[in-house]
Amino acid sequence: MASLMIESLTKRFGSSIAVDGLDLKVREGELVALLGPSGCGKTTTLRMVAGFLPPTSGRVLFDTEDVTRLPAHKRATGMVFQSYALFPHMTAAQNVGFGLEMRGLGGAERQTKVEEALRLVRLSHLGGRLPRELSGGQQQRVALARALVINPKLFLLDEPLSNLDAKLRAEVRVEIRALQQRLGLTTLLVTHDREEALTMADRLVVMEGGRVRQIGSPRELYDAPQDAFVADFVGRCNILSGRRENETGFRTESGLVLPVDTAPNERDNANAFALRPERIAIQPGANGDLNGAVEAVTYLGSQTEYHVRIGREVFVVIQQTPGADEPLAALKPQDQVSLAWDRKAPRLVPQTSL
Amino acid sequence: MTLAEGMRGKGGASAKAASPGTALLVLPACLLVLGLLIGPMLLMFRISLNQFSPTQLMIEAFSFGNYARAAADPYYQEIILTTLGMALLCTALTLVIAFPAAYWLGRLQSRWKSLVVIATLFPLLVGNVVRSAGWMALFTREGLINTALLKAHLIGEPLTLMYTPKAVVFGIIAVVLPYMILTIASVIESIPRDLEDAAANLGASGFSQFWRVILPLSAPGVAAGSILVFVLCMNTYATAVLLGGPRFKMMAPAIFDQFVRGNNWPMGATLAFMLLAVTMSFTIFGSIAFARRYRAR
Amino acid sequence: MLAAGAPSARAASGQVVVGTWGGDYGQLLGDLIDKPLLAPKGFEVLQDVANADPRKTKLLAERQSRRGSMDVACLSDSDHYIVAATNVFEPVDAAKVSRLDKVFPELRTETAIPHIYSAQVILYNENLVKTPPTSFADLWDPKWRGRVGLADILYPANTFAAALAGGGSASNFDPAEKMLMELRSLDAKIYPSNEALAAGLKSEEVWLTTMWLARGFMWKKAGIPLAHVVPKEGAVAIVFEASVPRNARNKDGGFAYLDAMLDAKAQIAFADKMGYVPTVSDAALPEDLAKQVSLSEADRARLLKPDYKYQTERSQRTLDFWNKQFKG
Repeated sequence: MASLMIESLTKRFGSSIAVDGLDLKVREGELVALLGPSGCGKTTTLRMVAGFLPPTSGRVLFDTEDVTRLPAHKRATGMVFQSYALFPHMTAAQNVGFGLEMRGLGGAERQTKVEEALRLVRLSHLGGRLPRELSGGQQQRVALARALVINPKLFLLDEPLSNLDAKLRAEVRVEIRALQQRLGLTTLLVTHDREEALTMADRLVVMEGGRVRQIGSPRELYDAPQDAFVADFVGRCNILSGRRENETGFRTESGLVLPVDTAPNERDNANAFALRPERIAIQPGANGDLNGAVEAVTYLGSQTEYHVRIGREVFVVIQQTPGADEPLAALKPQDQVSLAWDRKAPRLVPQTSL
Repeated sequence: MTLAEGMRGKGGASAKAASPGTALLVLPACLLVLGLLIGPMLLMFRISLNQFSPTQLMIEAFSFGNYARAAADPYYQEIILTTLGMALLCTALTLVIAFPAAYWLGRLQSRWKSLVVIATLFPLLVGNVVRSAGWMALFTREGLINTALLKAHLIGEPLTLMYTPKAVVFGIIAVVLPYMILTIASVIESIPRDLEDAAANLGASGFSQFWRVILPLSAPGVAAGSILVFVLCMNTYATAVLLGGPRFKMMAPAIFDQFVRGNNWPMGATLAFMLLAVTMSFTIFGSIAFARRYRAR
Repeated sequence: MLAAGAPSARAASGQVVVGTWGGDYGQLLGDLIDKPLLAPKGFEVLQDVANADPRKTKLLAERQSRRGSMDVACLSDSDHYIVAATNVFEPVDAAKVSRLDKVFPELRTETAIPHIYSAQVILYNENLVKTPPTSFADLWDPKWRGRVGLADILYPANTFAAALAGGGSASNFDPAEKMLMELRSLDAKIYPSNEALAAGLKSEEVWLTTMWLARGFMWKKAGIPLAHVVPKEGAVAIVFEASVPRNARNKDGGFAYLDAMLDAKAQIAFADKMGYVPTVSDAALPEDLAKQVSLSEADRARLLKPDYKYQTERSQRTLDFWNKQFKG
């Protein structure tokens, strides 16, 4: 395994710029996720790391080796494609063995490694099947085995879970993460699914418009987003425009003053108030500092989501679903409620024009 | 089922069964084939069993004598071999020339793509005869090639280009190339690009990507294109006559000779069926061999 | 093939469908016969243009039909014989074709009128051939190795010439086979069409050929330096004829057309334009034209008529030999 270093990587397509001066280091054994909306440059970045696309400028290094000009087939990365890209005319075992064959590994040794790799993804019994005879999940595991069996310097995952159904996705997520940690794989994961990124990555890179918005651990990004875009992209968030009123308050554009401890938010250009929905407490009855009316109650199983209007602002509140006999359980639209939160919970961040 | 569907296909085979009403949609095509192909062919077969008479055109008979005579005639044996050899050679050359172009076309992502496709089809808009006439202008002793070479003092005597098998090979390839290119290009188009990237990612060089992934996956296109082109080559008429000259013999002109110059319909029909039989057996044999090599998908 | 055959397109009375060659011949028919002679009589002429072979095939194929697609069929004398043998054509007599009495008797047949005729001669390049051949047999002189060109489509005439050169006759083509094989070993060149042969003569690829005098006349007019000799063995006549099929829809129109084809003025115009000689006694050619396209009295005496019966019965052998041995 190697570390990955990306230095001022830039890719232009004609007059449009897909990746704009990206710097990133992925340490050996680390899983870094590139997260962003489609068109943010995350896939282009991954394709440049794999060698499928030549960068316009900048460098890509595996450890200290500059691979920027190295063709894809000499880079020894193991990639799992969104489509899995299994060779439809080869059996699962032949797919897994392809990379070994290209490395000139013959006969018995190849066989052994293929069997090992298939065992690793629990597909030993299906090696003789063609891809189309396998389920989506099985195909995905063949793709994993195929990428890993060549002992890659770098493990590249391009939206690896997006073609799986929700239940399977959660399982495979855990499985891949466990495998990655057990084998110590230096991994670059591209995804637009924040949940996937948060649960799998050691560090996240939030990208937008070809640039990095923020790099950090999932917790850092979730709790301390640097701007409204990151706040919104890594999780649900109440984001209200306005300005700092004083050390304990933020005035929204509609004039509502919200409690916040501004000390940790010493940013001059902070013009947005960001608060995660689960950090808001809700009480029946209009007897608090911030009173409003319920607009909607959405039952989500273990959690319940409330939309509460205070003046012209609507807050999203997510709470553990109350027991049937608790007072909250009876809340319905038009009911009066009061909201409250820890002053340290909100962040004041720059609003990003999107 | 296209390859792309195959990739996605959990339920590729579960295509909705056509309702009885939709079956009617194939009726006009079926009637046309039945009326204009099967019918005349049966008639022709009947004629091939008749006996030729120079004065009465033919005498009703029921004998395979014409077949026996044609098959035993070294002249026709040679024509069949020439025809077969030409068809195989032209198909192979066409395949080699067409594949790179087809790959390029199949992978082309440009708003001009439809224009390129039309440009590929363009030669088909020009009839065989007109096209061959153009080639004649190029190939004759006073043609463009000889004039240019003579003017450049590269040759002292005009080269014999017309009425050579080489001229026919060039001519045929020019005619059939678009069929091969478009057939293969449409299959290449359906091979996901990801597969080439995946192969490269696993260490396959450009050649290995082609040999191990693109070629086997384009096999259906190669097979379809080759069969189409082979059949066209086997039935070459105008190109063989106009560029090959009177001494060059292929089956279609020989059949024409019997029907029209000799007025010998029974022999013409016999030769036509022999051509059909050879073409069909090679096509079927080739398809089976091909399917074995690249597993039927 | 069904160029003009659609029944609904035909008026009941005035339309005449003429199966003819295209090119100059069809054009001249239109200019000299259809428009000036037939149109005033209320006939509308439709040309069904094709080469002789498809026309022959069509006539043979249609002979069982009650109504055919042609009212007039133009064919060479040899082709006419083959088709007429299957009883396809109406007899021609003076009652139906009034000008028949002007036709040279030796050119008359039961079921056709002779429209124009010419003779098979030797053409040679007068610049390159210093001592012209005097007979077909002279073409076999080794000094002309590689310089004799033949048109593939004229294989029956070429075979006839070879037979005469080898001592055969209109009724004996046997010597032709040996002679043709000799010519083959003398590198005779074969051209797929008359036009290709003309190009070969023009480019001096070949210097000698055997051809209808009329075509030689045309080629000379086109600037190819050619002269002709009437071979000692005799000049084979070629007659272009016209007939009315038994199943013609407009027989009256057909015979009117045949009559017009014998018109003296039209015949002279054909001679002037195409080099074929009139078939009627009252069409005198201007002197210098006559010199170029007509045979002298002495040569006319050597005019040979094919033995159609023999030729037809041998046709398959002639074609097979030409294809399999000579060209093979």
